[in-house]
Amino acid sequence: MVIIMKKFSQMAIPYIVWSVLMLVLPMALIAFYSITQQGNSIISFSITLEHYIKFFTDADFLIILWRSLWIAFKTTIICLLIGYPVAYYISHCKERMQNILVFCITMPMWINMLVRTYAWIGLLSKDGLMQKLLSLLGLGNAELLYTEGAVLLGMVYNFLPFMILQINTTLCKMDDSLLEASADLGADPVQTFYRVTLPLSIPGVINGITLVFLPAVSSFFIPKLLGGGKYFLIGNVIENQFITVGEWNFGSAISMIIAVIMMVLMMCVHKAEVRNNGGKGET
Amino acid sequence: MKEKKLIEFRNIVKSFDGQIVLKGVNLDIYENEFVTLLGPSGCGKTTLLRILGGFIDADEGKIIFKGEEVNHIPPYRRELNTVFQKYALFPHLNVYENIAFGLKINKLSKDVIDQKVMKMLKLIGLEGFEGKNITLLSGGQQQRVAIARALVNEPKVLLLDEPLAALDLKLRKEMQYELKRIQQEVGITFIFVTHDQEEALTMSDKIVVMKNGEIQQVGTPQEIYNEPANRYVANFIGESNIIPGVMLKDYKVWFDDIAFECVDFGFKEKEPVDVVIRPEDIDIVSRENGKMTGEVLSVLFKGVHYEVMVETIPGTQVTVNMQVVKSHDVISADGKEKISATNFYVDLEDVKKLDDKEVVARSNAQAWNPETDDYISISKIEFDVKEEEGQYPVLFSTSGGTSIERTIFVVNQPFVSNEKANEAVMAFNFQTTVEEIKESLALDTDIKTWANAQAWKLSDESQSVDISAYYDFEPQSVTEGTYRITFSTTGRVFKIHTTDYIKEGQEVGLTFFPEDIHVMSKMVF
Repeated sequence: MVIIMKKFSQMAIPYIVWSVLMLVLPMALIAFYSITQQGNSIISFSITLEHYIKFFTDADFLIILWRSLWIAFKTTIICLLIGYPVAYYISHCKERMQNILVFCITMPMWINMLVRTYAWIGLLSKDGLMQKLLSLLGLGNAELLYTEGAVLLGMVYNFLPFMILQINTTLCKMDDSLLEASADLGADPVQTFYRVTLPLSIPGVINGITLVFLPAVSSFFIPKLLGGGKYFLIGNVIENQFITVGEWNFGSAISMIIAVIMMVLMMCVHKAEVRNNGGKGET
Repeated sequence: MKEKKLIEFRNIVKSFDGQIVLKGVNLDIYENEFVTLLGPSGCGKTTLLRILGGFIDADEGKIIFKGEEVNHIPPYRRELNTVFQKYALFPHLNVYENIAFGLKINKLSKDVIDQKVMKMLKLIGLEGFEGKNITLLSGGQQQRVAIARALVNEPKVLLLDEPLAALDLKLRKEMQYELKRIQQEVGITFIFVTHDQEEALTMSDKIVVMKNGEIQQVGTPQEIYNEPANRYVANFIGESNIIPGVMLKDYKVWFDDIAFECVDFGFKEKEPVDVVIRPEDIDIVSRENGKMTGEVLSVLFKGVHYEVMVETIPGTQVTVNMQVVKSHDVISADGKEKISATNFYVDLEDVKKLDDKEVVARSNAQAWNPETDDYISISKIEFDVKEEEGQYPVLFSTSGGTSIERTIFVVNQPFVSNEKANEAVMAFNFQTTVEEIKESLALDTDIKTWANAQAWKLSDESQSVDISAYYDFEPQSVTEGTYRITFSTTGRVFKIHTTDYIKEGQEVGLTFFPEDIHVMSKMVF
């Protein structure tokens, strides 16, 4: 037994090496960059907090940060409002139909996100399909592309499947006898939903929120393509620092700030979940 | 207690995917009854309960509750509550919240809910557990919470779907008493589904025995046990000796070649029937005092009593010779092929049934490569057998040209018939080799095949009877020679429960009272 265990633990070595090289090391480097001065080499460096100070003392950066969090929040809420009913509907279909629907939802993900976002440029552009439809409906020639609305649309479109799939999974795993028990105890379908289905699906909702909110905050190509440079988010700032300005240290510092904010937010969500469950184990 | 009808099932039919689960069930359930639906899995008992609960709809028929049809009333408006098989407690709520669920739905005031929940916790013996996490409770505790959650709503009827199935034996027994106590205390109708006959006998006022979607018998535990309606019920409830017999006239039944006094009447004259005698109703006495006599085959200690098997009619026997010969396989000139087969006997009547396949099987013919042990197919079988007694050659060859000649003995084999036991046995002499015996994985079965041993009912030749092979050689040290093999059927064996020890092999008499004989109609399948 011991020998077998040893063999198994040896098998883990490549994974450990891989995760150190690909996850831990880059993270450590970013943290290192964020507290050192521009132009340092690995051999001689001086530690500084100037990048953090620069970020927090510049109102422009703070506005962009706020805007990023706000649009990610709106994206998450919209995904939740659309995603939950869709997931609920899917989980109540027959198994065959469920598979078909889940397949339909995952299918767009086979195509590169960038390509799909480019497609929206075509749809939203002047004389594009959307504008034509709107003018047919007599809603005038409103500017669609390069607005906050376009960015929000792009984000919801890209991240909605994550929300649906997460919630659908928890709903499908739920024991039908709990719903029968609820009906048996006198709860009509609406009461059963609020008292049994919804509370029990919270873990899936939290997972969905995490999977939508995190990439939405830091996404940079959706605002770049659909916001057309007029709508700048924190992801774009970081990208700029690295690629255009060349200030890797400042870019690293912003990345660290985002990472910390995310961690704090996720901890709050997790705490809320635990409280909601009254400290009971998830099933 | 003369009761009022509470629930009526009227001709309930239900099928799932074309498979009929309930075939027109009619059943009345009264107030304050503890009713058990008893049957093996798949008999439709849970389906019937779920139809009453409103979780599935019947295809046909009416469910009447307090005089009103409730077929189309959704489960949340029915005045009954269910204890589910796996409890179905809400994992996101604690003990108190689970029990209070139904009361909160009914918008009772906080202090009324408090009062009722506490009363329930007391009834189920879980005071002080109200804040406990459901998932941390033991199976028995979860069970009690599930019962409390249903009972707190003061339903007219409590439905219990195999609620004790998930508990261990000791806890199950405790909960049986507990459930009965709770039922008597709250005084409502319990409808309990189980496949456990002992559970049913212990708790019920009324048992409904079901099989294949039909009700077999409805009655009190005593009625079901003492007067089973048919062979199926007798077998399912308790242990029993079931013997085919004939009703000679009222109060007179004939079985095992003896006419007995009994208390049953109302059958047709000479009607074939099944007779049940419970193992505890038979007394073992001396040979001369017995209504029947027999030999004690086995005695098993069962704790409270001994289970004694007494053979009153010996099995039917036939003895044949087994000739064990040296293997004389034929090896091809190049040594690449080996072929073997044995002589065999065949009955005159079966000659016309002999084809290539049958000949290969009966002679145990096979060919193989001795180096690799791979089988080689026997491609040619030549034989010419006439429908007269005699010896006929048979030649087996492979496509490689290796061949072996053996003999088929056509004989007119008499069979042994036993009128008293209504059976006949037949077997043939046969030849085999030392290797075959040593290499056999299931020797008894092989011997039966080699000897073509068979037994059947005299009254119905298509009904075969089990036989066993008896021999007195050691398979692993067998040598060439001739051995006697006896094939025998089981005969009539009675199972008897007694507190007195009897020696195995002893000749004894069996006796019982006329009222211990229960005559049932033959089941129509």
